[in-house]
Amino acid sequence: MTCCLAGRAEVEMAELYVKPGNKERGWNDPPQFSYGLQTQTGGPKRTPLTKRVAAPQDGSPRVPTSELSPGHPPVGPPPPSKAPGPPPVESCPSSCVVPTSSPVIEPEALLEDVLRPLEQALKDCHGHTRKQLCDDISRRLVLLREQWAGGKLSVPVKKRMALLVQELSSRQWDAADDIHRSLMVDHVTEVSQWMVGVKRLIAEKRSLSSEEAAKEEKSAAATENETMSGLQQAP
Amino acid sequence: MATYLEFIQQNEERDGVRFSWNVWPSSRLEATRMVVPLACLLTPLKERPDLPPVQYEPVLCSRPTCKAVLNPLCQVDYRAKLWACNFCFQRNQFPPAYTGISEVNQPAELMPQFSTIEYVVQRGPQTPLIFLYVVDTCLEEDDLQALKESLQMSLSLLPPDALVGLITFGRMVQVHELSCEGISKSYVFRGTKDLTAKQIQDMLGLTKSAMPMQQPRPAQAQEHSFISSRFLQPIHKIDMTLTDLLGELQRDPWPVTQGKRPLRSTGVALSIAVGLLEGTFPNTGARIMLFTGGPPTQGPGMVVGDELKVPIRSWHDIEKDNARFMKKATKHYEILANRTAANGHCIDIYACALDQTGLLEMKCCTNLTGGHMVMGDSFNTSLFKQTFQRIFSKDFNGDFRMAFGATLEVKTSRELKIAGVIGPCVSLNVKGPCVSENELGVAGTSQWKICGLDPTTTLGIYFEVVNQHNAPIPQGGRGAIQFVTQYQHSSTQRRIRVTTIARNWADAQSQLRHIEAAFDQEAAAVLMARLGVFRAESEEGPDVLRWLDRQLIRLCQKFGQYNKEDPSSFRLSDSFSLYPQFMFHLRRSPFLQVFNNSPDESSYYRHHFARQDLTQSLIMIQPILYSYSFQGPPEPVLLDSSSILADRILLMDTFFQIVIYLGETIAQWRKAGYQDMPEYENFKHLLQAPLDDAQEILQARFPMPRYINTEHGGSQARFLLSKVNPSQTHNNLFAWGQVMK
Repeated sequence: MTCCLAGRAEVEMAELYVKPGNKERGWNDPPQFSYGLQTQTGGPKRTPLTKRVAAPQDGSPRVPTSELSPGHPPVGPPPPSKAPGPPPVESCPSSCVVPTSSPVIEPEALLEDVLRPLEQALKDCHGHTRKQLCDDISRRLVLLREQWAGGKLSVPVKKRMALLVQELSSRQWDAADDIHRSLMVDHVTEVSQWMVGVKRLIAEKRSLSSEEAAKEEKSAAATENETMSGLQQAP
Repeated sequence: MATYLEFIQQNEERDGVRFSWNVWPSSRLEATRMVVPLACLLTPLKERPDLPPVQYEPVLCSRPTCKAVLNPLCQVDYRAKLWACNFCFQRNQFPPAYTGISEVNQPAELMPQFSTIEYVVQRGPQTPLIFLYVVDTCLEEDDLQALKESLQMSLSLLPPDALVGLITFGRMVQVHELSCEGISKSYVFRGTKDLTAKQIQDMLGLTKSAMPMQQPRPAQAQEHSFISSRFLQPIHKIDMTLTDLLGELQRDPWPVTQGKRPLRSTGVALSIAVGLLEGTFPNTGARIMLFTGGPPTQGPGMVVGDELKVPIRSWHDIEKDNARFMKKATKHYEILANRTAANGHCIDIYACALDQTGLLEMKCCTNLTGGHMVMGDSFNTSLFKQTFQRIFSKDFNGDFRMAFGATLEVKTSRELKIAGVIGPCVSLNVKGPCVSENELGVAGTSQWKICGLDPTTTLGIYFEVVNQHNAPIPQGGRGAIQFVTQYQHSSTQRRIRVTTIARNWADAQSQLRHIEAAFDQEAAAVLMARLGVFRAESEEGPDVLRWLDRQLIRLCQKFGQYNKEDPSSFRLSDSFSLYPQFMFHLRRSPFLQVFNNSPDESSYYRHHFARQDLTQSLIMIQPILYSYSFQGPPEPVLLDSSSILADRILLMDTFFQIVIYLGETIAQWRKAGYQDMPEYENFKHLLQAPLDDAQEILQARFPMPRYINTEHGGSQARFLLSKVNPSQTHNNLFAWGQVMK
């Protein structure tokens, strides 16, 4: 494995991002949040903005407290930070930070490190899965290979795929599934043609592994019985 | 007295209910003199992370005309194992499972903190959720590509055993048969001819029960029986095929000549979708999701012709009775909507186009069934993509927030009756002793059906006090109401949520101050607003405004303290202090003012208003305005032009838009680049603060709001300027000592 645990945390942080909306197609299009940000059940919320101020009952509108009248030239610079003033407004939680490019040059995820485990996983499923389905998944893995080799996939997608394969190999089905979902949400244009094959592969591996676990349990129980009866028969 | 705010808040948190009056006037006459009707906002599925559901059936009153659910207000004889229904006073025997109960060993449903409780019940086989995509192919290439990708993405967000189907339409309507092997087939219908449900089912081969139905396996309870049809298949089987099918979708092949609109057969497409679901899966949770990029221009339900030089109807056209297709089209969709609701399904409309798409005529589809209405400029925008993603958002348990097939029953104690409901529902026509003859909203019933809902869906329920004047206050001094909502949870479990509340009666003659102190001005404003918007659908705009003004005047006459002939002496108590402001902004709001909005836009705003919870509804009526400055933490300010100051940043939330406005000086500082200088880090934080607060709102809200970042003198500042009360204008600046240069 080329990715270490520290790399995984970095990848995850980098996937909490906000991009601007599509101003060309929609006026005032809101910014786009990544899957990671959207699914955060999120820590302490800032104070919700729901308060209102009652209008003064005596009818006179409030006199503005600022003396600046419109049209005046700027009245010098803003109050500098060192001046005794109100504390700076709370800095935003780390999740809102638009990621700067990481100073550490990470080794790029390698094609073989991703494709080989996937192809192996597919081979493992041969006995368990219908041929038609295997063929369908295989076709998509070929497509993935072509697109990767042809330089059509972006760095974040490759990183996430490496992580997905890691989770798959560690039998963390839910985690792998979640990564596939995050890729479909954040990078659908790049991944939509082949990702559904990876999704199915995860599902098939999961069901294969639970079948194997069930078989193992049965045979373990059977051997235990044999051993027990063997022990009883021993002189 | 000051604790009424706490009381109101605690009750809302626990029960999802906000009443206009929390102490009830005890006679009909006095209640009408209160001006604001006795009514409540109910959020039936309010999220309660602290309320685990109980896994047994609710205990019901044995009287056949009552059947109220056992609740904390009931008197209980623990020795004799009897309970007295608080609505009809019938004495009931506890069922055998309750033999062990005692004062120290109470079942949950009798404990006061469980005034709201949820039951999980076993009621027949659990059917999977169903999603039927109805997709317009008369879109521009970019738009169609973006829509296809969003639909492919949604396949990864749906649960693996959900059933999914696809209908595409343009000039013709195609129903796609989904199968994993071989060539994909589809049934093609002409877009000009409407068909009856039976015709559709015959033509699709549904009536012969040719559906491949496997016998449900007898083993585990959690396995779903494999019911499906050729047109609606489980995701885990069909996702590959459907992903490819979606990927290969092309624009409608019929050429569109210069000066013409594409021929779009939305009316027939929707009709076929409704008929398909009716014939295969009636009475189970299903969503028909209509994606459209323009108005219906062909066949029944067409809203405009195909000549571009004839524009789609405006409010002006409608007023002058110049909207040719409106009545017929509205009727077509109303019939479809009612059928869909009767089948327990809901219809969503996702309309993305630069011009109108016919939401005015189609709004009953979403409003009667509880489906979503999303309006955007293009499918290739973050607004659509993220709003669509949020449909599939999950709660703290990892379940989808969406729920289906809800029926709401309301029971009242004798002194009250139900006048009606305003919200995304239809009537179930259940008459009974609780039903009032004075109708308001969806009326004449004590049960309603909400086919699609989520944890924020809120209904306005209006009551009538029926006690005669001078009749004594009922014994016990409290009136009670029970709300029973049965629904299909997104995990396909059937659940029942029961909320039982009580409030004190008071004699309005001697205890007006108590009634006054318990007034919930926020709830009252939203309930009156829903009434106003409901009226606006059938009455003339100016009449509705006049009605609203009259109600405000009457309320002020009743509850204001003033000396005659002296306007400056007028005072309202604290519990009414915000109400006049709410009414002021309501009359200027897009819900009651159609000027500057197209009929589709007005329909869109009203759709969301009629279903949101109290906090969001209030934001829509009177947008929130917060001011950021060096002087201290952000503070709420009056929605008034006097709040617009050169050295402040304003954040305005109208629900549909988030506006950040930089005052003149702030804008100049930003232009000069002070935020990049280390000595002025304070300024950088000041600029960032409203952006962070805006982001928190943007991250959570459904539908996703538009985002406007503007400054003094910017053209987009008009969104702020049009909302604030113009107390200062160029006409009156002199009056306050400011010098005009």
